[in-house]
Amino acid sequence: MSIRIHEGKSAGTEVTRRSFLRTGTAVAGGMAALAAALSPLKDLKPEEEFSLEKFIQKHYKEMTPDDMKGALDRITREVEHRYKVRPEVRDMRPKAGVEFVYALNLSRCIGCRKCVYACVEENNQSRAPEIQYIRVIEMPRGTLDLEKGNHHYERPTVPDGDHFYMPVQCHQCANPPCVKVCPVEATWQDDDGITVIDYDWCIGCRYCEAACPYWARRFNFVKPEIPEADINKDMGYLSNRPRPKGVVEKCHFCLHRTREGRLPACLEACPTGARKFGNVLDPNSEVSQILKTKRVFVLKEEVGTLPRFFYYFDERYPRSLDPEAKQVALSLGYTPGAGGWTPPAGDPARAIGGGEVAR
Amino acid sequence: MSGAGRTSLVLWLIGPAFLGVAAYLALVAPPATIPIGEMKIIPSDAVKGGAWRQAKVDARGVVAGSDRPCSECHKLFTTPPGENKALVQHKDIVMNHGMNTRCLNCHDGDDRDKLVLHDGTTVSFADTPRLCSQCHGTVYRDWQLGTHGKTLGSWDAKDEKHRRLTCNECHEPHSPAYKPMKPLPAPTTLRMGDQSMPKEHHGKESPLRRRSASPHEGGPEHGEPAEPSQDKTPMEPGQPAEKGGGK
Amino acid sequence: MIREYLTFLYRCFRLSFVGTAGYYLWMFALSVISLLGLNAYCKQFVLGMGVTGMSDHVSWGLYIANFAFFVGMAAAAAMLVIPVYIYRNRELSHLVIFAQLLAVATIIMSLLFVVVDLGRPDRFHHMMLRFNFPISMLTWDVISLNGYLALNLHICGYLIYTAYRRREPTKLFYIPFVMVAIIWAFSTQLVEAFLYCGLGGRPFWNSAVIAPRLVASAFAAGPSILIIALHVISRTTDYQVPEKAFLTLRNIVRIAMAASFFLLMSELFTEFYTDSAHVASARYLFLGLDGRYGLVPWIWTALSLNAIGLVILFTPASKSRGFLISACAMMIVGVWIEKGMGLVIPAFIPSPLGEIVEYKPTLNEWMVTAGITAFGFLVFTILVRVTIPVLSGKLAFDRPYDPARNEGPAETAPTASNATGS
Repeated sequence: MSIRIHEGKSAGTEVTRRSFLRTGTAVAGGMAALAAALSPLKDLKPEEEFSLEKFIQKHYKEMTPDDMKGALDRITREVEHRYKVRPEVRDMRPKAGVEFVYALNLSRCIGCRKCVYACVEENNQSRAPEIQYIRVIEMPRGTLDLEKGNHHYERPTVPDGDHFYMPVQCHQCANPPCVKVCPVEATWQDDDGITVIDYDWCIGCRYCEAACPYWARRFNFVKPEIPEADINKDMGYLSNRPRPKGVVEKCHFCLHRTREGRLPACLEACPTGARKFGNVLDPNSEVSQILKTKRVFVLKEEVGTLPRFFYYFDERYPRSLDPEAKQVALSLGYTPGAGGWTPPAGDPARAIGGGEVAR
Repeated sequence: MSGAGRTSLVLWLIGPAFLGVAAYLALVAPPATIPIGEMKIIPSDAVKGGAWRQAKVDARGVVAGSDRPCSECHKLFTTPPGENKALVQHKDIVMNHGMNTRCLNCHDGDDRDKLVLHDGTTVSFADTPRLCSQCHGTVYRDWQLGTHGKTLGSWDAKDEKHRRLTCNECHEPHSPAYKPMKPLPAPTTLRMGDQSMPKEHHGKESPLRRRSASPHEGGPEHGEPAEPSQDKTPMEPGQPAEKGGGK
Repeated sequence: MIREYLTFLYRCFRLSFVGTAGYYLWMFALSVISLLGLNAYCKQFVLGMGVTGMSDHVSWGLYIANFAFFVGMAAAAAMLVIPVYIYRNRELSHLVIFAQLLAVATIIMSLLFVVVDLGRPDRFHHMMLRFNFPISMLTWDVISLNGYLALNLHICGYLIYTAYRRREPTKLFYIPFVMVAIIWAFSTQLVEAFLYCGLGGRPFWNSAVIAPRLVASAFAAGPSILIIALHVISRTTDYQVPEKAFLTLRNIVRIAMAASFFLLMSELFTEFYTDSAHVASARYLFLGLDGRYGLVPWIWTALSLNAIGLVILFTPASKSRGFLISACAMMIVGVWIEKGMGLVIPAFIPSPLGEIVEYKPTLNEWMVTAGITAFGFLVFTILVRVTIPVLSGKLAFDRPYDPARNEGPAETAPTASNATGS
C-alpha cells in the first residue's frame, strides 16, 4: 500500500471552524488520555517518599556534623512515624588501627540457618518480600562447585551426613568490584574494610548487583515490610536503619555493633562457634590466629576481589578410622557396630543409656 | 473517498479514540501485580545470641526439692572406683563420650564437688578446659588461640566484655557431640515461585560429574515453596544423637 | 537570528501535525502505545521495580537489553557517515542525515531505557553531584551517550537549518564534528561493551570479544532498520531514495552480519571446547541447564533469523526490494534477541552462587518497553517528517509552510548534499 502525504487543503472560514473543532477534540482527547496515563501517580505518598530535606541531603562524605545530626533526626522521625517506636540512630565511624576480617569454619557449620534469621532481625531486613544477607548452601561432599549446592534444603534435622554447609554473605572485598562500578559513589570501602552503602544516595541502577561475584547485594524491589514489633531500635546510618524502596543493601558486618567492639549478630547466634570475627591488624586476635594456623581459602580467588571473608576446615581424623583407637577399644571389650562401638555387657555406660562411641 | 476526506475522517476519529484510551486506562487497565511471598515468623528465641547451653559452674544439684551441693548426698553414696554397677540416680544423663564411660574418670571420687585430673589433682567445675585438655589436646590448643569455640561480648581481647566460652558452655560433657537440629526455613526469594520446573540435578551427587540427571531424593527443589508446617515451627535443639552428629 | 531560528522551529512543529490519513493513523498508534507505556511506568514508579520480572538473581532485564540494542542502532549511523564524508560517496549524502536522525531517536530511547531501569529516578541529580568518573563504566556511558546525542543533534540540526536558510553549510561548523562523531560512535559501542565485559564475577560477559560482537551486530541491525526506514520514506513521500543507497547499505549489513557470525563462532568455540565451569551461562542460553530452557527457543530463533537473513543477502534475490526488506526485518529481530535476551540475561543465570532463577518479563515491563520504543519511533517520524520538505526545498526561510504551494515542484535549492559532496 502506498500512502502519499497529501498536504493540500482548501482554505475557508467554515472549513477552518470545523478543523478547529476537529483539532480541539483531538487535543482534548489526547490530554484526557495523558491524564489517565498518569493517573497511577495519585497513589504516590509524596510526604513519605520525597521531601526537600531528603532531596538536598548531601553525600555522606560531604555532610558536616550538623548535616548528619539533621539527617539522623529525620530518620528518627520517619521511623517513629512509620513503626511507632523511637529508635536510636547513630553514625558510627571506623576506628583507627582496625581492619575487620571474618573467618568461617566449614567443619563446624551445621547449616541450621540461625545466622540468617539473626541477621534479618538485627538488621531490620524486609520480611515480605524476603531479604536475607546470608545464604547457607548445602554442598555435597567432595566438591566446592557452587553450582552443585542447594540453597533450599529442608530437612528434619541438619547436618546431613553426605553434605557440608557453606554460608555466604558479603565478603567485604579489599578490591571490591561493586564499589568500582557505582556511578554515584553511593557505596565505598571504609577504613576498617567494611564496604558501606549510603541508602540516601543510591540511585538503584543495580550495577553493583551485577558486578558482585558473591551475590551479596540485595535490591528493594518494593517498599520493605517489617512488623512494628520486630524493629531493632539500635540503628546505624550506614547499616541497619530501615531502607527505602529502590535502593541496594547488603551485609555490613553489623557495623553499628562491631564499630563499638561488639560482635556481629550472625556470630552471636551461631550455636557451634563456626563463625569468627576480629581485627586482622591485631596479631593475637582470633582471626589473625586462624590465618596463621589454619589452611584458609576464599571463594573465587581468581576474580581478584581479595575478600576479607575466609573459610577453613579443621576436620580431625575420624576416631572410627583410627587403627590405634580401634585396638584400645577391642582390648576393653567394646564391639564394633554399624553406628559405632558398643560397650561390653555390664558396663555402666550401657546402664545409663549410653551407647555408641562418637566418631 | 478522496484523500482529503479520508484524512478528515481520521482526524475526527482521533479525539474520541483518545478518549477511549483514557477511559480504558482509567477504568479497565489491570493493576500491576507484585509477587511478595508470605512473611515468615521466626521467634526471637530461635536466633538468640549467647552460649549454646547453660554450663554447670558450681557442684550443686536439686535433689528431692532442695538445692544442695553434690557432696552432701555423696557423703552417703560412694562408688568405689573400678566397680561396674548400674546407676540408681542421675538416670537422665545420657553417656555418649566415646570410651570415656566411667564417672570417676572426670568426677573426683573423694570430693564430689570437684573434678579430677589423671594425676589426682582436683579442679573446680568452672575449670573444665583443664580437665578436657588432658584428652583433647589439639582442640584445647585451638581453643586457647581462639580458633576453636565461641567468643562473646567483644571481638577485642582487651575489652572487658570479651569472653571465650568454656568447653561445657557448648558441649554437654557426658555427650559432647552436637545433636542434629531442625534448620530454620529455606529462603523464598522474590519471584522464586515462578521457578516451578524441577531442577534435575542433586541426585546422588558425584563430585566427578558436572551435571547429573537423576532426581533429588530429599527436600523441596529450587523454587518450590517450603512446607508451611515447617515454616513457623521454632527449632528445637534436640533429637537423640546419631552418629556423626557433630563431627 | 534567534527569531528566525524560533520561526524555523515553529514551522517544523506545525509541519509535524500535518499529513495524510496514514500519517495520522501511524502517529495516533504510536501516541497510544507511548501513553500505555507511560501508564505502565507510572505504576512502576509508584509501586517499585517489583512490577518487573527482575529479581536479585536476574537484576537486569528487558530494559537494559533494549538499552544495549538501541545504543548499537545509534552507533550504526556512523556506518553511513564514513562512506559519505571519508569516501565522498555523493549518492548517500542525504541519507546521512536520516541515519543521524535515527541515531538521535535511538539515543533518546536508550536514555529512557536507562532511566526506567533506575530504582530511584528521583535521585538522578546525584549523577551531577558525585560522578564516579572515570572509575565507573556507567559514567562513561552517560557521557558517551549524551555526547553522541549532542553531536548528532548539532550535525543534522546544522545541515537542516542551513538548507532551510538556503545557504552553503560552512565546513568548519560540521566536518570536525562529523569526524568526532565517527570515532564517538565506535566508542559508544566500546563503552557499552565495557559496561559488561569488565565484570570478573560474570564469566559470560568477561570476554574480550563482547565489544567487537556488539559493534558487528549493531552495524548489521542499524543499517537494516535504515533500509526499512528509507523504503518507507520512498514509498510514502515524494522523496526519492537512490537505489545505490540500498545496495550500499545491503553490503554493510552483509559484512557486519558475517562478522557477527564469525565472532559468535569464536565465542562459542572458546566456551564449549574449554568446557570449564564458566560455560554454564552459555549452556543455559543455547542448550538449557538442569532442566531449565527459558532462553533456548529465543536464541535459536535469533540465530535462525540472522542466518536466513544473511543467506538472502548473499543471493541475488536480495536485489528485489521485498526480499531485502524481509531479510532486514529478520536481522533486526534476530539482533534484538541476540543482544537482549542473548547477551544481558544469561550472564545472570546461573547466579554467582550457582542458583538457576529464570527471568520472564512481566506485562508491565513489556508495556514500558513498547512505550519507549513507540516514543522513539514517534520522534524519528517527526524528525523525518520535517526534514524531507526542508531537504527538497519545499520548506525554507523564504518559503513558509503552505499546503497549497507545497504540492508544486521542488525548487532547486542548495542543500546539505551539494555542500557535503564538494
